[in-house]
Amino acid sequence: MIELKQITKQYPGQAMPAVEQLSLSIPEGEICVLVGPSGCGKSTILRMINRMIEPTSGTVSIKGKDASGTDPDQLRMGIGYVIQQIGLLPHRTIAENIAIVPRLYKWPKEKIAQRVDELIVMMGLDLEKTRGKYPSQLSGGQMQRVGVARAMAVDPPIMLMDEPFGAVDPIARTHLQDELLRLQKEIKKTIVFVTHDINEAIKMGDNIAIFEAGKLVQFGTPEEILTNPTNAFVENFIGHDRVVKKLSLYCAAEAMQPVGCLVSETGLPSARQKMMDAETEVAFFLNAEGKPTGYFTLAEFEECEGDLKCLRKKVLRTEGAFVQTTTPLPDALSLLLEFDSDYLGILKGKEICGMLSFKDIRRHVYRKEGE
Amino acid sequence: MTWENFRFALFEKAPEALLEHTLIVLITIAIAILISVPLGVLLSRPKFKRFGLVTLNLLNVLQAIPGLAIIALALPILGLGMKPAVLALLFQSLLPIVRNTIAGLIEVNPNVKEAARGMGMSQRRILMEVEIPLAMPIILSGIKTATVYVVSMGTLAALIGAGGLGNLIIGGLALFRPEYLLVGAGLGALMAILLERGLTYIEYRITPPGMRF
Repeated sequence: MIELKQITKQYPGQAMPAVEQLSLSIPEGEICVLVGPSGCGKSTILRMINRMIEPTSGTVSIKGKDASGTDPDQLRMGIGYVIQQIGLLPHRTIAENIAIVPRLYKWPKEKIAQRVDELIVMMGLDLEKTRGKYPSQLSGGQMQRVGVARAMAVDPPIMLMDEPFGAVDPIARTHLQDELLRLQKEIKKTIVFVTHDINEAIKMGDNIAIFEAGKLVQFGTPEEILTNPTNAFVENFIGHDRVVKKLSLYCAAEAMQPVGCLVSETGLPSARQKMMDAETEVAFFLNAEGKPTGYFTLAEFEECEGDLKCLRKKVLRTEGAFVQTTTPLPDALSLLLEFDSDYLGILKGKEICGMLSFKDIRRHVYRKEGE
Repeated sequence: MTWENFRFALFEKAPEALLEHTLIVLITIAIAILISVPLGVLLSRPKFKRFGLVTLNLLNVLQAIPGLAIIALALPILGLGMKPAVLALLFQSLLPIVRNTIAGLIEVNPNVKEAARGMGMSQRRILMEVEIPLAMPIILSGIKTATVYVVSMGTLAALIGAGGLGNLIIGGLALFRPEYLLVGAGLGALMAILLERGLTYIEYRITPPGMRF
Protein backbone atom coordinates (compact mmCIF):
# COMPACT_ATOMS: atom_id res chain seq x y z
CA MET A 1 0.00 0.00 0.00
CA ILE A 2 2.61 2.50 1.12
CA GLU A 3 6.08 1.62 0.03
CA LEU A 4 9.12 3.52 1.27
CA LYS A 5 12.29 2.72 -0.65
CA GLN A 6 15.76 3.73 0.47
CA ILE A 7 14.49 6.94 2.00
CA THR A 8 17.06 9.33 3.38
CA LYS A 9 16.34 12.76 4.77
CA GLN A 10 19.27 15.00 5.44
CA TYR A 11 18.51 18.42 6.87
CA PRO A 12 20.98 21.09 5.83
CA GLY A 13 23.49 21.91 8.52
CA GLN A 14 23.05 18.68 10.44
CA ALA A 15 25.74 16.06 10.66
CA MET A 16 23.46 13.06 10.95
CA PRO A 17 20.61 12.39 8.57
CA ALA A 18 17.21 12.53 10.26
CA VAL A 19 16.21 9.36 8.42
CA GLU A 20 18.75 7.03 6.87
CA GLN A 21 18.24 4.46 4.12
CA LEU A 22 14.81 3.46 5.27
CA SER A 23 12.86 0.85 3.40
CA LEU A 24 9.49 -0.05 4.79
CA SER A 25 6.37 -1.45 3.32
CA ILE A 26 3.17 -0.63 5.10
CA PRO A 27 0.40 -3.16 4.50
CA GLU A 28 -3.07 -2.15 3.43
CA GLY A 29 -5.96 -1.94 5.85
CA GLU A 30 -3.83 -2.20 8.97
CA ILE A 31 -2.47 0.10 11.63
CA CYS A 32 1.28 0.49 11.40
CA VAL A 33 2.80 2.24 14.39
CA LEU A 34 6.05 4.13 14.09
CA VAL A 35 7.56 4.33 17.54
CA GLY A 36 10.80 5.50 19.05
CA PRO A 37 12.26 8.11 21.39
CA SER A 38 11.81 11.74 20.40
CA GLY A 39 14.11 12.82 17.62
CA CYS A 40 14.31 9.37 16.08
CA GLY A 41 12.81 10.60 12.83
CA LYS A 42 9.40 8.98 13.10
CA SER A 43 7.43 12.18 12.49
CA THR A 44 9.72 13.05 9.60
CA ILE A 45 8.93 9.70 8.01
CA LEU A 46 5.22 10.26 8.44
CA ARG A 47 5.44 13.70 6.90
CA MET A 48 7.37 12.38 3.93
CA ILE A 49 4.43 10.16 3.05
CA ASN A 50 2.17 13.13 2.30
CA ARG A 51 5.07 15.26 1.09
CA MET A 52 4.91 17.76 3.91
CA ILE A 53 8.64 17.04 3.85
CA GLU A 54 10.48 15.96 0.72
CA PRO A 55 13.00 13.15 1.11
CA THR A 56 16.59 13.91 0.14
CA SER A 57 16.74 10.61 -1.72
CA GLY A 58 14.60 7.54 -2.17
CA THR A 59 11.01 7.12 -3.25
CA VAL A 60 7.67 6.94 -1.54
CA SER A 61 5.03 5.12 -3.52
CA ILE A 62 1.39 4.88 -2.62
CA LYS A 63 -0.61 2.09 -4.24
CA GLY A 64 2.27 1.56 -6.61
CA LYS A 65 2.36 5.20 -7.71
CA ASP A 66 5.34 7.39 -7.02
CA ALA A 67 4.11 10.12 -4.67
CA SER A 68 6.53 12.69 -6.07
CA GLY A 69 4.64 12.52 -9.36
CA THR A 70 1.43 13.81 -7.80
CA ASP A 71 0.67 17.44 -7.03
CA PRO A 72 1.33 17.76 -3.28
CA ASP A 73 -1.99 19.46 -2.54
CA GLN A 74 -3.92 16.82 -4.48
CA LEU A 75 -1.96 14.09 -2.74
CA ARG A 76 -2.71 15.52 0.71
CA MET A 77 -6.40 15.93 -0.05
CA GLY A 78 -6.54 12.17 -0.50
CA ILE A 79 -4.77 11.33 2.75
CA GLY A 80 -6.29 11.89 6.18
CA TYR A 81 -3.95 13.77 8.50
CA VAL A 82 -4.24 14.17 12.26
CA ILE A 83 -1.64 15.97 14.34
CA GLN A 84 -1.09 16.09 18.07
CA GLN A 85 -2.10 19.71 18.44
CA ILE A 86 -5.14 18.92 16.33
CA GLY A 87 -4.93 22.16 14.38
CA LEU A 88 -8.64 22.86 14.17
CA LEU A 89 -9.26 26.24 12.58
CA PRO A 90 -10.26 28.35 15.59
CA HIS A 91 -12.34 30.75 13.50
CA ARG A 92 -14.49 28.03 12.00
CA THR A 93 -17.24 26.02 13.64
CA ILE A 94 -16.88 22.29 14.16
CA ALA A 95 -19.09 21.59 11.14
CA GLU A 96 -17.02 23.96 8.99
CA ASN A 97 -13.81 22.36 10.20
CA ILE A 98 -14.97 18.89 9.25
CA ALA A 99 -16.16 20.22 5.89
CA ILE A 100 -12.75 21.57 4.83
CA VAL A 101 -11.59 18.69 2.66
CA PRO A 102 -15.04 17.95 1.15
CA ARG A 103 -15.10 21.63 0.18
CA LEU A 104 -11.69 21.29 -1.45
CA TYR A 105 -13.21 18.45 -3.46
CA LYS A 106 -16.12 20.78 -4.31
CA TRP A 107 -18.79 18.44 -3.02
CA PRO A 108 -22.34 19.79 -3.25
CA LYS A 109 -23.55 21.50 -0.09
CA GLU A 110 -26.17 18.92 0.89
CA LYS A 111 -23.69 16.09 0.56
CA ILE A 112 -21.20 17.95 2.78
CA ALA A 113 -23.82 18.68 5.43
CA GLN A 114 -24.93 15.07 5.44
CA ARG A 115 -21.38 13.76 5.74
CA VAL A 116 -20.54 16.21 8.53
CA ASP A 117 -23.56 15.09 10.55
CA GLU A 118 -22.70 11.47 9.93
CA LEU A 119 -19.14 11.97 11.19
CA ILE A 120 -20.13 13.92 14.28
CA VAL A 121 -22.46 11.09 15.27
CA MET A 122 -19.86 8.46 14.37
CA MET A 123 -17.39 10.15 16.72
CA GLY A 124 -19.88 9.89 19.54
CA LEU A 125 -20.42 13.63 19.82
CA ASP A 126 -23.76 15.31 20.40
CA LEU A 127 -24.83 16.43 16.93
CA GLU A 128 -26.97 19.45 17.78
CA LYS A 129 -24.69 20.69 20.54
CA THR A 130 -21.44 20.25 18.66
CA ARG A 131 -22.11 21.31 15.10
CA GLY A 132 -22.24 25.05 15.61
CA LYS A 133 -19.61 25.29 18.34
CA TYR A 134 -16.12 26.68 17.97
CA PRO A 135 -13.08 24.56 18.77
CA SER A 136 -12.24 26.56 21.91
CA GLN A 137 -15.61 25.60 23.35
CA LEU A 138 -14.76 21.89 23.33
CA SER A 139 -12.67 19.76 25.68
CA GLY A 140 -9.34 18.31 24.53
CA GLY A 141 -10.83 14.89 23.97
CA GLN A 142 -13.73 16.28 21.98
CA MET A 143 -11.38 18.37 19.84
CA GLN A 144 -9.31 15.30 19.12
CA ARG A 145 -12.42 13.46 17.98
CA VAL A 146 -13.24 16.32 15.65
CA GLY A 147 -9.66 16.14 14.37
CA VAL A 148 -10.13 12.47 13.54
CA ALA A 149 -13.56 13.13 12.01
CA ARG A 150 -12.07 15.86 9.86
CA ALA A 151 -9.36 13.53 8.60
CA MET A 152 -11.98 10.94 7.68
CA ALA A 153 -14.31 13.39 5.97
CA VAL A 154 -13.80 12.21 2.39
CA ASP A 155 -13.19 8.64 3.49
CA PRO A 156 -9.53 8.55 2.42
CA PRO A 157 -8.00 5.06 2.25
CA ILE A 158 -4.92 6.26 4.13
CA MET A 159 -4.74 8.14 7.42
CA LEU A 160 -1.60 9.58 8.93
CA MET A 161 -1.75 10.23 12.65
CA ASP A 162 1.09 12.03 14.39
CA GLU A 163 0.77 11.39 18.12
CA PRO A 164 -2.94 12.00 17.78
CA PHE A 165 -3.74 11.33 21.43
CA GLY A 166 -0.61 12.81 22.94
CA ALA A 167 -2.22 15.97 24.23
CA VAL A 168 -5.23 14.50 26.04
CA ASP A 169 -5.43 13.18 29.58
CA PRO A 170 -4.84 9.45 30.16
CA ILE A 171 -8.49 8.54 30.65
CA ALA A 172 -9.61 10.30 27.50
CA ARG A 173 -6.65 8.79 25.68
CA THR A 174 -7.61 5.22 26.57
CA HIS A 175 -11.12 6.00 25.47
CA LEU A 176 -10.00 7.47 22.15
CA GLN A 177 -7.68 4.54 21.52
CA ASP A 178 -10.46 2.03 22.13
CA GLU A 179 -12.78 3.94 19.86
CA LEU A 180 -10.28 4.17 17.07
CA LEU A 181 -9.67 0.42 17.30
CA ARG A 182 -13.40 -0.24 17.24
CA LEU A 183 -13.82 2.10 14.29
CA GLN A 184 -10.89 0.57 12.45
CA LYS A 185 -12.63 -2.81 12.52
CA GLU A 186 -15.33 -1.27 10.34
CA ILE A 187 -13.42 1.19 8.20
CA LYS A 188 -10.23 -0.83 7.65
CA LYS A 189 -8.05 2.13 6.73
CA THR A 190 -4.36 2.00 6.21
CA ILE A 191 -3.26 3.97 9.24
CA VAL A 192 0.26 5.14 9.94
CA PHE A 193 0.37 6.08 13.59
CA VAL A 194 3.28 7.85 15.25
CA THR A 195 3.80 7.68 18.98
CA HIS A 196 6.66 7.66 21.49
CA ASP A 197 4.68 5.51 23.90
CA ILE A 198 5.48 1.83 23.52
CA ASN A 199 2.31 0.83 25.36
CA GLU A 200 0.22 2.77 22.89
CA ALA A 201 2.17 1.14 20.06
CA ILE A 202 1.51 -2.34 21.43
CA LYS A 203 -2.14 -1.56 21.89
CA MET A 204 -2.80 0.13 18.56
CA GLY A 205 -0.44 -1.57 16.13
CA ASP A 206 -1.05 -4.46 13.81
CA ASN A 207 2.59 -3.83 13.03
CA ILE A 208 5.16 -1.82 14.91
CA ALA A 209 8.27 -0.21 13.47
CA ILE A 210 10.81 0.81 16.09
CA PHE A 211 13.26 3.56 15.22
CA GLU A 212 16.50 4.71 16.72
CA ALA A 213 18.30 7.80 15.46
CA GLY A 214 16.76 7.70 11.99
CA LYS A 215 17.18 3.98 11.49
CA LEU A 216 14.62 1.23 11.55
CA VAL A 217 15.73 -1.27 14.17
CA GLN A 218 12.82 -3.66 14.18
CA PHE A 219 9.61 -4.18 12.28
CA GLY A 220 7.04 -6.76 13.22
CA THR A 221 3.79 -7.53 14.99
CA PRO A 222 3.59 -6.54 18.66
CA GLU A 223 3.93 -10.19 19.56
CA GLU A 224 7.07 -10.66 17.50
CA ILE A 225 8.63 -7.57 18.94
CA LEU A 226 7.78 -8.42 22.53
CA THR A 227 8.92 -12.00 22.07
CA ASN A 228 12.13 -11.41 20.17
CA PRO A 229 13.53 -7.93 20.60
CA THR A 230 16.35 -7.65 18.05
CA ASN A 231 18.80 -5.79 20.21
CA ALA A 232 19.45 -4.17 23.54
CA PHE A 233 17.94 -0.88 22.37
CA VAL A 234 14.58 -2.46 21.57
CA GLU A 235 14.66 -4.44 24.78
CA ASN A 236 15.36 -1.30 26.73
CA PHE A 237 12.76 0.67 24.89
CA ILE A 238 10.11 -1.93 25.61
CA GLY A 239 11.10 -1.97 29.26
CA HIS A 240 11.90 -4.64 31.81
CA ASP A 241 8.27 -5.60 32.08
CA ARG A 242 8.41 -6.89 28.53
CA VAL A 243 6.74 -10.17 29.35
CA VAL A 244 4.06 -8.54 31.45
CA LYS A 245 3.34 -6.18 28.55
CA LYS A 246 2.96 -9.21 26.37
CA LEU A 247 0.02 -10.32 28.48
CA SER A 248 -2.00 -7.47 27.04
CA LEU A 249 -1.85 -9.11 23.62
CA TYR A 250 -3.91 -12.05 24.79
CA CYS A 251 -7.39 -12.50 26.14
CA ALA A 252 -8.63 -14.90 28.75
CA ALA A 253 -10.06 -17.36 26.24
CA GLU A 254 -6.64 -17.97 24.72
CA ALA A 255 -5.04 -19.12 27.95
CA MET A 256 -7.92 -20.91 29.63
CA GLN A 257 -8.27 -24.62 30.29
CA PRO A 258 -11.47 -26.62 30.34
CA VAL A 259 -13.58 -26.43 33.50
CA GLY A 260 -12.54 -29.17 35.87
CA CYS A 261 -15.84 -29.83 37.54
CA LEU A 262 -19.30 -28.34 37.67
CA VAL A 263 -21.45 -28.89 40.73
CA SER A 264 -25.09 -28.00 41.17
CA GLU A 265 -26.94 -27.68 44.49
CA THR A 266 -28.47 -31.11 44.16
CA GLY A 267 -25.21 -32.67 43.11
CA LEU A 268 -23.39 -31.40 46.18
CA PRO A 269 -23.23 -34.69 48.05
CA SER A 270 -21.38 -36.34 45.20
CA ALA A 271 -19.15 -33.34 44.56
CA ARG A 272 -16.12 -34.81 46.25
CA GLN A 273 -16.22 -37.95 44.18
CA LYS A 274 -16.78 -35.93 41.04
CA MET A 275 -13.73 -33.77 41.71
CA MET A 276 -11.61 -36.79 42.45
CA ASP A 277 -12.74 -38.46 39.24
CA ALA A 278 -11.97 -35.37 37.21
CA GLU A 279 -8.59 -35.09 38.94
CA THR A 280 -9.19 -31.46 39.71
CA GLU A 281 -9.09 -29.52 42.91
CA VAL A 282 -11.60 -26.90 41.93
CA ALA A 283 -15.31 -27.02 41.23
CA PHE A 284 -17.63 -24.31 39.95
CA PHE A 285 -20.95 -24.04 41.65
CA LEU A 286 -24.16 -23.67 39.67
CA ASN A 287 -27.28 -22.23 41.26
CA ALA A 288 -30.80 -23.53 40.80
CA GLU A 289 -31.08 -21.84 37.40
CA GLY A 290 -27.88 -23.50 36.27
CA LYS A 291 -25.93 -20.23 36.31
CA PRO A 292 -22.41 -20.26 37.71
CA THR A 293 -22.17 -18.26 40.92
CA GLY A 294 -18.74 -19.09 42.28
CA TYR A 295 -16.22 -21.82 42.94
CA PHE A 296 -14.61 -23.77 45.76
CA THR A 297 -11.58 -25.99 46.10
CA LEU A 298 -11.49 -29.54 47.30
CA ALA A 299 -9.85 -28.55 50.56
CA GLU A 300 -12.50 -25.92 51.25
CA PHE A 301 -15.21 -28.39 50.41
CA GLU A 302 -13.88 -30.85 52.92
CA GLU A 303 -13.67 -28.16 55.57
CA CYS A 304 -17.41 -27.71 55.30
CA GLU A 305 -18.06 -31.40 54.99
CA GLY A 306 -20.32 -30.79 52.05
CA ASP A 307 -22.78 -28.61 53.94
CA LEU A 308 -24.49 -26.20 51.55
CA LYS A 309 -24.98 -23.37 54.06
CA CYS A 310 -21.40 -23.49 55.27
CA LEU A 311 -20.24 -23.64 51.69
CA ARG A 312 -22.29 -20.63 50.70
CA LYS A 313 -21.28 -18.56 53.67
CA LYS A 314 -17.66 -19.38 54.17
CA VAL A 315 -15.88 -20.79 51.24
CA LEU A 316 -17.75 -20.10 48.02
CA ARG A 317 -15.81 -17.46 46.16
CA THR A 318 -18.16 -15.26 44.24
CA GLU A 319 -16.47 -11.89 44.15
CA GLY A 320 -14.15 -11.42 41.21
CA ALA A 321 -14.56 -15.06 40.35
CA PHE A 322 -15.53 -14.66 36.72
CA VAL A 323 -14.32 -12.83 33.65
CA GLN A 324 -15.47 -12.85 30.05
CA THR A 325 -13.63 -14.68 27.28
CA THR A 326 -12.59 -11.36 25.76
CA THR A 327 -11.11 -9.95 28.98
CA PRO A 328 -7.44 -9.09 28.43
CA LEU A 329 -5.07 -11.26 30.44
CA PRO A 330 -3.66 -8.36 32.51
CA ASP A 331 -7.16 -7.65 33.84
CA ALA A 332 -7.68 -11.32 34.68
CA LEU A 333 -4.32 -11.44 36.41
CA SER A 334 -5.18 -8.33 38.35
CA LEU A 335 -8.37 -9.96 39.62
CA LEU A 336 -6.48 -13.03 40.76
CA LEU A 337 -4.10 -10.81 42.69
CA GLU A 338 -6.78 -8.52 44.05
CA PHE A 339 -8.90 -11.30 45.54
CA ASP A 340 -5.97 -13.52 46.46
CA SER A 341 -7.52 -16.37 44.55
CA ASP A 342 -6.11 -19.14 42.43
CA TYR A 343 -8.82 -19.55 39.85
CA LEU A 344 -11.10 -17.55 37.60
CA GLY A 345 -14.12 -18.84 35.75
CA ILE A 346 -14.32 -17.78 32.13
CA LEU A 347 -17.76 -16.86 30.89
CA LYS A 348 -18.97 -16.64 27.38
CA GLY A 349 -22.03 -14.47 27.81
CA LYS A 350 -23.57 -16.17 30.85
CA GLU A 351 -22.34 -19.69 30.22
CA ILE A 352 -19.16 -20.95 31.79
CA CYS A 353 -16.72 -22.21 29.20
CA GLY A 354 -13.39 -22.49 30.92
CA MET A 355 -11.22 -21.57 33.82
CA LEU A 356 -7.95 -19.82 34.34
CA SER A 357 -5.25 -20.09 36.97
CA PHE A 358 -1.85 -18.48 37.50
CA LYS A 359 -0.39 -21.63 36.07
CA ASP A 360 -2.37 -21.29 32.86
CA ILE A 361 -1.25 -17.72 32.38
CA ARG A 362 2.33 -18.69 33.02
CA ARG A 363 2.14 -21.63 30.67
CA HIS A 364 0.51 -19.55 27.93
CA VAL A 365 3.09 -16.80 28.09
CA TYR A 366 5.95 -19.26 28.36
CA ARG A 367 4.72 -21.18 25.34
CA LYS A 368 4.45 -17.94 23.38
CA GLU A 369 7.87 -16.90 24.57
CA GLY A 370 9.36 -20.13 23.28
CA GLU A 371 7.94 -19.81 19.80
CA MET B 1 -16.26 84.26 22.65
CA THR B 2 -19.64 84.80 21.22
CA TRP B 3 -22.44 82.41 20.58
CA GLU B 4 -22.85 83.92 17.13
CA ASN B 5 -19.27 83.03 16.12
CA PHE B 6 -19.63 79.62 17.60
CA ARG B 7 -22.88 78.97 15.77
CA PHE B 8 -21.37 80.21 12.54
CA ALA B 9 -18.34 77.97 12.89
CA LEU B 10 -20.39 74.94 13.79
CA PHE B 11 -23.23 75.24 11.30
CA GLU B 12 -21.80 77.22 8.41
CA LYS B 13 -18.15 76.23 8.29
CA ALA B 14 -17.93 72.85 9.97
CA PRO B 15 -20.11 70.68 7.65
CA GLU B 16 -17.95 71.32 4.63
CA ALA B 17 -14.73 71.03 6.61
CA LEU B 18 -15.91 67.82 8.18
CA LEU B 19 -16.78 66.38 4.80
CA GLU B 20 -13.39 67.28 3.38
CA HIS B 21 -11.66 65.90 6.41
CA THR B 22 -13.56 62.65 6.22
CA LEU B 23 -12.73 62.38 2.55
CA ILE B 24 -9.03 62.91 3.19
CA VAL B 25 -9.04 60.34 5.97
CA LEU B 26 -10.97 57.76 3.99
CA ILE B 27 -8.86 58.15 0.86
CA THR B 28 -5.63 57.98 2.82
CA ILE B 29 -6.66 54.95 4.85
CA ALA B 30 -8.02 53.17 1.78
CA ILE B 31 -4.74 53.66 -0.07
CA ALA B 32 -2.76 52.80 3.03
CA ILE B 33 -4.65 49.51 3.42
CA LEU B 34 -4.24 48.69 -0.25
CA ILE B 35 -0.49 49.18 0.03
CA SER B 36 0.22 47.96 3.56
CA VAL B 37 -1.75 44.74 3.80
CA PRO B 38 -0.31 43.17 0.64
CA LEU B 39 3.11 44.46 1.64
CA GLY B 40 2.74 42.92 5.09
CA VAL B 41 1.56 39.65 3.58
CA LEU B 42 4.50 39.62 1.21
CA LEU B 43 6.98 40.36 3.99
CA SER B 44 5.63 37.52 6.10
CA ARG B 45 6.16 34.94 3.32
CA PRO B 46 9.30 32.87 3.87
CA LYS B 47 10.75 34.06 0.57
CA PHE B 48 10.67 37.74 1.51
CA LYS B 49 11.02 37.47 5.25
CA ARG B 50 14.58 38.77 5.15
CA PHE B 51 13.35 42.10 3.75
CA GLY B 52 10.94 42.51 6.62
CA LEU B 53 13.26 44.28 9.01
CA VAL B 54 14.63 46.60 6.33
CA THR B 55 11.17 47.59 5.22
CA LEU B 56 9.96 48.18 8.75
CA ASN B 57 12.98 50.36 9.45
CA LEU B 58 12.36 52.32 6.27
CA LEU B 59 8.75 52.87 7.27
CA ASN B 60 9.92 53.86 10.73
CA VAL B 61 12.11 56.53 9.19
CA LEU B 62 9.25 57.72 6.98
CA GLN B 63 7.05 58.00 10.02
CA ALA B 64 9.70 59.91 11.88
CA ILE B 65 9.67 62.68 9.27
CA PRO B 66 7.29 65.32 10.49
CA GLY B 67 4.13 65.52 8.44
CA LEU B 68 4.69 69.19 7.87
CA ALA B 69 8.11 68.50 6.33
CA ILE B 70 6.64 65.96 3.94
CA ILE B 71 3.92 68.37 2.95
CA ALA B 72 6.54 71.01 2.29
CA LEU B 73 8.74 68.60 0.34
CA ALA B 74 5.86 67.29 -1.73
CA LEU B 75 4.58 70.73 -2.54
CA PRO B 76 6.93 71.51 -5.45
CA ILE B 77 6.15 68.16 -7.08
CA LEU B 78 2.49 67.60 -6.40
CA GLY B 79 1.42 71.20 -6.01
CA LEU B 80 -1.31 72.42 -3.70
CA GLY B 81 -4.43 70.60 -2.64
CA MET B 82 -5.36 67.15 -1.60
CA LYS B 83 -2.65 65.13 -3.37
CA PRO B 84 0.38 66.20 -1.31
CA ALA B 85 -1.75 66.05 1.82
CA VAL B 86 -2.76 62.47 1.18
CA LEU B 87 0.85 61.56 0.38
CA ALA B 88 2.11 63.03 3.63
CA LEU B 89 -0.59 61.31 5.63
CA LEU B 90 0.08 58.05 3.81
CA PHE B 91 3.66 58.05 5.04
CA GLN B 92 2.35 58.31 8.54
CA SER B 93 -0.15 55.52 8.23
CA LEU B 94 1.76 52.77 6.42
CA LEU B 95 3.90 51.65 9.33
CA PRO B 96 1.28 50.62 11.85
CA ILE B 97 -0.66 48.62 9.28
CA VAL B 98 2.35 46.86 7.77
CA ARG B 99 3.77 46.13 11.19
CA ASN B 100 0.53 44.70 12.49
CA THR B 101 -0.09 42.70 9.35
CA ILE B 102 3.28 41.04 9.70
CA ALA B 103 2.83 40.51 13.43
CA GLY B 104 -0.66 39.13 12.96
CA LEU B 105 0.38 36.68 10.28
CA ILE B 106 3.43 35.52 12.18
CA GLU B 107 1.36 34.88 15.26
CA VAL B 108 -1.01 32.49 13.52
CA ASN B 109 -0.61 29.16 15.28
CA PRO B 110 1.82 27.07 13.19
CA ASN B 111 -0.14 23.92 14.04
CA VAL B 112 -3.21 25.37 12.40
CA LYS B 113 -1.23 26.18 9.27
CA GLU B 114 0.38 22.75 9.33
CA ALA B 115 -3.00 21.05 9.63
CA ALA B 116 -4.41 23.18 6.81
CA ARG B 117 -1.47 22.29 4.58
CA GLY B 118 -1.74 18.64 5.54
CA MET B 119 -5.35 18.60 4.43
CA GLY B 120 -4.32 19.72 0.98
CA MET B 121 -5.19 23.42 1.13
CA SER B 122 -3.08 25.41 -1.32
CA GLN B 123 -0.80 28.17 -0.01
CA ARG B 124 -3.17 30.73 -1.47
CA ARG B 125 -6.17 29.17 0.21
CA ILE B 126 -4.34 28.94 3.52
CA LEU B 127 -3.53 32.66 3.26
CA MET B 128 -7.06 33.71 2.36
CA GLU B 129 -9.04 31.30 4.51
CA VAL B 130 -6.78 30.71 7.48
CA GLU B 131 -4.00 33.24 7.94
CA ILE B 132 -5.71 36.50 7.08
CA PRO B 133 -8.92 35.75 8.99
CA LEU B 134 -6.89 34.73 12.03
CA ALA B 135 -4.62 37.79 11.75
CA MET B 136 -7.55 40.11 11.10
CA PRO B 137 -8.03 41.39 14.66
CA ILE B 138 -4.37 42.45 14.81
CA ILE B 139 -4.41 43.93 11.31
CA LEU B 140 -7.53 45.87 12.22
CA SER B 141 -5.94 47.27 15.32
CA GLY B 142 -3.10 48.55 13.11
CA ILE B 143 -5.68 50.18 10.85
CA LYS B 144 -7.25 51.70 13.93
CA THR B 145 -3.97 53.22 15.04
CA ALA B 146 -3.32 54.57 11.55
CA THR B 147 -6.82 56.04 11.31
CA VAL B 148 -6.46 57.95 14.54
CA TYR B 149 -3.08 59.28 13.37
CA VAL B 150 -4.51 60.38 10.08
CA VAL B 151 -7.49 62.12 11.65
CA SER B 152 -5.24 64.21 13.85
CA MET B 153 -2.47 64.80 11.32
CA GLY B 154 -5.11 65.58 8.72
CA THR B 155 -5.62 69.00 10.24
CA LEU B 156 -2.25 69.97 8.72
CA ALA B 157 -3.66 69.42 5.25
CA ALA B 158 -5.35 72.81 5.49
CA LEU B 159 -1.91 74.42 5.26
CA ILE B 160 -1.64 73.47 1.59
CA GLY B 161 -5.20 74.13 0.69
CA ALA B 162 -6.59 70.65 1.08
CA GLY B 163 -9.26 71.89 3.43
CA GLY B 164 -10.66 69.85 6.26
CA LEU B 165 -11.01 70.62 9.93
CA GLY B 166 -7.58 72.22 9.83
CA ASN B 167 -9.18 75.13 7.98
CA LEU B 168 -11.19 75.96 11.07
CA ILE B 169 -8.19 75.69 13.34
CA ILE B 170 -5.86 77.72 11.16
CA GLY B 171 -8.59 80.22 10.47
CA GLY B 172 -9.34 80.49 14.16
CA LEU B 173 -5.68 81.14 14.94
CA ALA B 174 -5.40 83.77 12.23
CA LEU B 175 -8.58 85.57 13.17
CA PHE B 176 -8.25 85.16 16.95
CA ARG B 177 -11.54 83.32 17.07
CA PRO B 178 -11.35 80.67 19.78
CA GLU B 179 -14.82 79.43 18.75
CA TYR B 180 -13.40 78.25 15.42
CA LEU B 181 -10.51 76.55 17.21
CA LEU B 182 -12.89 74.85 19.56
CA VAL B 183 -15.17 73.57 16.84
CA GLY B 184 -12.30 72.39 14.59
CA ALA B 185 -10.30 70.69 17.30
CA GLY B 186 -13.38 69.35 19.05
CA LEU B 187 -14.80 67.79 15.92
CA GLY B 188 -11.38 66.34 15.09
CA ALA B 189 -11.17 64.72 18.49
CA LEU B 190 -14.73 63.49 18.25
CA MET B 191 -14.08 62.02 14.82
CA ALA B 192 -10.98 60.20 16.04
CA ILE B 193 -12.86 58.76 18.99
CA LEU B 194 -15.85 57.71 16.91
CA LEU B 195 -13.72 56.03 14.27
CA GLU B 196 -11.74 54.25 16.94
CA ARG B 197 -14.89 52.98 18.60
CA GLY B 198 -16.40 51.99 15.28
CA LEU B 199 -13.35 50.00 14.26
CA THR B 200 -13.23 48.36 17.66
CA TYR B 201 -16.80 47.26 17.15
CA ILE B 202 -15.98 45.86 13.71
CA GLU B 203 -12.99 44.10 15.22
CA TYR B 204 -15.30 42.51 17.76
CA ARG B 205 -17.81 41.50 15.15
CA ILE B 206 -15.33 39.81 12.85
CA THR B 207 -13.70 37.89 15.69
CA PRO B 208 -15.54 34.58 15.77
CA PRO B 209 -17.23 33.75 19.09
CA GLY B 210 -14.73 31.00 19.73
CA MET B 211 -11.84 33.44 19.77
CA ARG B 212 -13.27 36.33 21.76
CA PHE B 213 -11.84 36.84 25.17
